[in-house]
Amino acid sequence: MKTYLIDDDTLSTYLTEQLLRAEGFSNTINTFDSAQQALQQLVEDKDKAAPQVVFLDLNMPAMNGWEFLDALAPYEGELLGHCHIYILTSSLALADLEKSKSYDLVSGLIHKPIDTEEIRAIQSQFEEKGATE
Amino acid sequence: MQDSGVPVNHEQFEQSAEAAFRLNVAGELQQVTTGFANLLRQTATALVGRHLEELLLAAAPETVRQQLNRAGAGAIVSFEAQVRSVSPPEHYNFTLLSLPGGLGLAGVAKRLVPVSAADALLLERERHLSIIFDNIADVTFVLRAETGSRFRFVFVNKAFEQTTGLPAMQVMGRLASEIIPEPALSEVLEYYKTALHTRQPVAWQETSDYPNGRKTGEVRVTPVVEADGTCCQLVGIVHDLTPQKEAEIRLQVSNERFHYALKATTDAIYDWNIAADTLYWGEGFEELFGHKLTENPTPFNIWANYVEPTEHDRVVAGLRHTAFATSNLFWQQEYRFSRADGSWAVVFDRGYILRDNQGRAIRMIGAMQDITARKEAEDQQRLLADKLGRQNADLQQFTYIVSHNLRAPLANALGYADLLSRVEKASPVFDESLRNLRTSLNLLDGVLTDINGILSIRDQQGSYRPEPVALAEVCRQALHSLAHQLQECGGELQYVIPEELRVPGSRAYFHSIFHNLISNAIKYRSDVRVLQISIEATGSSSGSVQIIVEDNGLGFDQKKIGGDIFQLYRRFHPDKPGRGIGLFLVKSHVESMHGRISVQSQLGVGTQFTLLF
Repeated sequence: MKTYLIDDDTLSTYLTEQLLRAEGFSNTINTFDSAQQALQQLVEDKDKAAPQVVFLDLNMPAMNGWEFLDALAPYEGELLGHCHIYILTSSLALADLEKSKSYDLVSGLIHKPIDTEEIRAIQSQFEEKGATE
Repeated sequence: MQDSGVPVNHEQFEQSAEAAFRLNVAGELQQVTTGFANLLRQTATALVGRHLEELLLAAAPETVRQQLNRAGAGAIVSFEAQVRSVSPPEHYNFTLLSLPGGLGLAGVAKRLVPVSAADALLLERERHLSIIFDNIADVTFVLRAETGSRFRFVFVNKAFEQTTGLPAMQVMGRLASEIIPEPALSEVLEYYKTALHTRQPVAWQETSDYPNGRKTGEVRVTPVVEADGTCCQLVGIVHDLTPQKEAEIRLQVSNERFHYALKATTDAIYDWNIAADTLYWGEGFEELFGHKLTENPTPFNIWANYVEPTEHDRVVAGLRHTAFATSNLFWQQEYRFSRADGSWAVVFDRGYILRDNQGRAIRMIGAMQDITARKEAEDQQRLLADKLGRQNADLQQFTYIVSHNLRAPLANALGYADLLSRVEKASPVFDESLRNLRTSLNLLDGVLTDINGILSIRDQQGSYRPEPVALAEVCRQALHSLAHQLQECGGELQYVIPEELRVPGSRAYFHSIFHNLISNAIKYRSDVRVLQISIEATGSSSGSVQIIVEDNGLGFDQKKIGGDIFQLYRRFHPDKPGRGIGLFLVKSHVESMHGRISVQSQLGVGTQFTLLF
């Protein structure tokens, strides 16, 4: 499962990557410490090699998570159903959860640190989906 | 019972057409003939028991009573008199004689028939005079002077009756002392005597209480001097001043009320005479603003020139526009007005414009109210509200930031603790994770230290005592601790701070301010040019101090970032290390010393901070 990890906090990125690997979640994990770079890559990859899962941090300098989502709006039609974005944030603010629901591309919001159950839940969704396809 | 010695045919007597009567010794009518009753225009029964003096007015020099007394003493008297109840007066000749045996007096009345055309003319003139007198609006009366300085009313007109409320019949023949009440009486009698003795008219103002109320009149009595030089009559005319007097009293009361109202108000009341373009001021003007008026009214410009110059157009021109170019009845404005001591009063001014039939402004009456204190209180309230609003915004931001920045390292620490339990101890991932756990905990500790530092600044804001801080010295100290870093990057720093320049504040805060600004300049320097930092401080004559810290570093996009630059944990250079607390601390320190800080920056050119104390 091709996965993007977008987070300016390198400690957090390393942690999430190791946790995903420990669960055998993905074989290809691309990490980005800048949302702008991730956006550029995603637009390039969207036709042939779009990631199935994107873990997106919110609180980032230059371009934050919301700005990243807004910048994706023109490609929403192409990505919807293929690319699932999970917000991964240290914030516990309820307002963020509410706001995330207004984006169709966002499949869920996870509070850091991501734990084993959450990783397995995402995995099982994809397995079901794979079985029905 | 009548004495039988006197044969009197009662019936025959009473039916007689002759005007005859019988009186008792006291002078009261006992019996009258039809002729006499007709003469008095009354019924016989109504007349019996009345005193002759009540009915007749004897011509001078003797009164009815005197004539009665003489007749009572045995004389046959004959005198002229007029009947009181008949108008115009008719004159009769009365003859009285004493009846023997104490039976009283008998009398007959004969009409005085004019004997000549001259007499008829005289009578006609008298009748006309009577009509004229009765139609004169002024009270008119004739007094006859009697022995013992007594004055008797012989004539009063209708106006007398209407003004006093006393019937003319009751007045004519009575003494002035019986008609005029004290305390006016004594005074009035003196005036009468003066007129009589000096033969000159006398005038005075008199106020007395009559049945019709308190009356005030201007009295003028003129002595009537006979051809032989004697004088025994006074003609009086009273011009009733009561309505004027009442109006005057009402006006006086209302003026008094207005006067006290003026005293009670602290406003400066004015009356703008538009034709003369002058202002008449109430006493509040001098009191409120301290200006001494050398004249009152003053020219319009005296006021206009005290209006704050930048508000002149709005206020002075605005007022003239309202008065001359509109039909408004009210004008009001708030403006600053110069006091005598040079300070400014905030004034609320409201006036009412009086206009003529064509709508032209002729006067404006208004009041200037000094609302400086209220205005200051409002400003203070607003400042307080602003401060509270700012603190609340700070608090919200603080909560948000703490939840993010505190939780981020904590979440990482939790995650690594979890990961460590699941990876092999002898693997590179384990070692890396352990290192990262330690780093996360250190970051967490750093945030807590920051929060502690920030809270302690806020706590001290209320209690800290400012001391004069020598800026040049503090700047040198801050520079000393950063000299090594500056040298390493090859940067240059120049500062121009007068040695004697001192700013009230905290030495530690200024140290922190210089340290943070200089270290920021070093941290965010540009790699394409040699770092230049300049610090300049200048004091003004008003005591304010301006500090400018300028660099030629990376700069930032002011449009995008704006005021966020000073916010806690806001970072704008992801590639440079930093916690995003430096500028937040600088701003907190500046503001806790009641200063202001602003920033100008251009991407790729440099940044300039301006501090004002």
